[in-house]
Amino acid sequence: MRGYHFGGGKSRWAPYLFLLPGLLLYVMIALGPSISTTFFSFTNATGIRGAPVDWVGLDNYKEFLFMGQASRDNLSALGRTLLFCFFVTTIQFSLGLLVAVLVNQKLKGTNFFRTLYFMPVILGAVIQGLIWSLFLYPLGGPMDSILNFFGMSSEFFGGPPTEAFGWVIVVQIWANLGTTMIIFLAGLQTIPSELYEAAEIDGANKWKVFKNVTWPLLTPSVNTNLLLNIIGSLQAWQLFLVLIGYRNGTQVLGYLIYAVGFGQTSGSVTSSFRQGYAAAASIVLFILVLILGTTTQFFLSRRERRILG
Amino acid sequence: MNKKHFVFSLLLVLTILLTACASGTETTDDAQPVEEDVTLRVLVHQNPPMVAFMEEFNQAFEEKYPNVTVDMSVVNANDLSTVTQTRLTANDVDVVDMFAFTNAAQPYMKNVDPPNWQTLIEAGYLMDLTGQPFLDNYYESAIADAGTYNGKVYQINLGTVSYSGLYYNKDLFAQYGVEVPTTYDQLVSACETFTAEGIPCMTAGGKDGWPIFVGAYGLIGSIYPDQEALVEGLWTGSIKWNDEKSMEMWDKMKVYAQDMMEEGASGIAGDAAPGRFASGAVAMFAGGTWYAAAIESAEPAFEWGYIPFPGSDDPEDNKYLFGKYDQGWVIAENSPNKETGLLYLTEFSEQENYAAFVNAVGFFPTQPGVTLDTQIGREVAPYLENFRVGYEQYYVAPKGAGQYANPWASYFAPFGTFDDAEELANKVQEDLQSGLDANQ
Repeated sequence: MRGYHFGGGKSRWAPYLFLLPGLLLYVMIALGPSISTTFFSFTNATGIRGAPVDWVGLDNYKEFLFMGQASRDNLSALGRTLLFCFFVTTIQFSLGLLVAVLVNQKLKGTNFFRTLYFMPVILGAVIQGLIWSLFLYPLGGPMDSILNFFGMSSEFFGGPPTEAFGWVIVVQIWANLGTTMIIFLAGLQTIPSELYEAAEIDGANKWKVFKNVTWPLLTPSVNTNLLLNIIGSLQAWQLFLVLIGYRNGTQVLGYLIYAVGFGQTSGSVTSSFRQGYAAAASIVLFILVLILGTTTQFFLSRRERRILG
Repeated sequence: MNKKHFVFSLLLVLTILLTACASGTETTDDAQPVEEDVTLRVLVHQNPPMVAFMEEFNQAFEEKYPNVTVDMSVVNANDLSTVTQTRLTANDVDVVDMFAFTNAAQPYMKNVDPPNWQTLIEAGYLMDLTGQPFLDNYYESAIADAGTYNGKVYQINLGTVSYSGLYYNKDLFAQYGVEVPTTYDQLVSACETFTAEGIPCMTAGGKDGWPIFVGAYGLIGSIYPDQEALVEGLWTGSIKWNDEKSMEMWDKMKVYAQDMMEEGASGIAGDAAPGRFASGAVAMFAGGTWYAAAIESAEPAFEWGYIPFPGSDDPEDNKYLFGKYDQGWVIAENSPNKETGLLYLTEFSEQENYAAFVNAVGFFPTQPGVTLDTQIGREVAPYLENFRVGYEQYYVAPKGAGQYANPWASYFAPFGTFDDAEELANKVQEDLQSGLDANQ
């Protein structure tokens, strides 16, 4: 057997050359824009090619974090982002695991339910938003009729900001539950059935089987899901745009970045495109994702090593 | 794999990649003569009656100039500025529907960013239309106020709209013997009558937020009729949102948002509100004149009227209609089809075509001699001499100002969180002052 598949001499460069197109794509689509965003965060860029771009140093960061009431509003949005992340991650993770365990049973119709739970994932944010806007229409929509039957009512997305915010959490979980479920389902199906049989022979009940067999062996899926849920919810913004729009008391950081970058902060009038300032806000969000992501990754990796060796 | 095949394959992959990433369009700055086949790329925002008119106009234009094909794209109004910017910078559009030039930085404003249209002009994306013969078809004031920058004309503005009015259901008013209100007290009394009869007084597209505060412009306008002076007063500190005069406005806004608006209005989208009103379920609808076509389309036999929102107890203060210059046409400076673009605007500006346009969309004309021969035109005709540009077209937020620094009725529950008018007034002033202080 040859030690090196591509041979000797200049052929040793072959794998690097094969990697080159992918690397170029990565630089153009991911790394390049990230570096540009960092650069633009120190400028007053508007995003209009040809318009003057001046170096403003740390002004955008100072404005975002320390200038007037707007900076305090930004910090509130930051807090709201963390709250959104907490609720979405914990509920989506738990519900996704529960649903995966249920649809992993050897029963008739599980394929139908797997499809049903996964279906929202393939819809775009606009379609997801439209479905829920119709479902939660407060003047005779299906949910309104149900609430009215019990003598209750709600304004849903048009109601008080905390209520509207809560409904976006519901939609976000509904929209992404399928991904969490499918990752858990894949994990569940890699667990050898012999382990379950052995546990049953040893007299373990269902909870003990889950606790001592399923849960530890699901560790890679747990790690993947937690990281995806945390990062996905921190970056969420499309559903806020579609379901609520720019409304005080509901913005999360991801949506705030879009709104200031594309002049959507002034009610019915388009304001200036402040893409330099939006870039600074993006970097703040990036740092938040980085801190939370790496900390979570650190603890999850440690747990994985402890359990799986 | 031998070396030759390997190198060849690699080059092929790289070539495909680079080709895919290269720009697919090549443009030149030379204007093409209209005799050649031309595809004119036109961008407009979603407004169903306007889109329907434009489709007919484009068809007629293509018939008159068989070598021209009009390729019209329609985008949501909220996306218009973003798409405009993207397509202008990519040299991918010739004629664009752009909103009027508003929110310019004034000498008394400190540390504010130029509006988007100004940046586009300064970056050389809009064609200078100064001296074009079709400009003579429009009011000089409309050209100067809505389409001119630094003495050069870049836009022809196609009309004004009012947003400070109330639609009312004529049948319900007649059925319950309610007079059409001309004062605030009468409006309150009318609402009480309807509510007592189990009929919601007023509706609006509360889910979108802005229709609620736009609907209450009459309350701001009855107290501050000169809205340009209002903005200057706020910036210079001579007017405060929590002074005695403004408190009257906030107290009335609370009544408007919490007592006059129907329950559930905060869940109605802006484009669904005209249908809700046309269904005959509510007595009034706070909304702009552009909704008239949608009301007529939803229920052609429905009887409605339109009045300025009576924000004051003195009828003299309620004679103003506040609004804005709406959309206009601009031509891309880098367009290879400038001559055809100019021909398109020339044709559009012909009095017959322009009159058909305003009557289709319900704009108040910016061409002398053209009248709005529609119901909304007749309804607003008595107030047109008192038309004024609204606060929102002048105001620019100081950097650092908080998110509540505007006089919006939508801050009140259920649309927002505030229940107490004084608490809200203090918060609005505090948020504005915070920005003003930060820029000292």
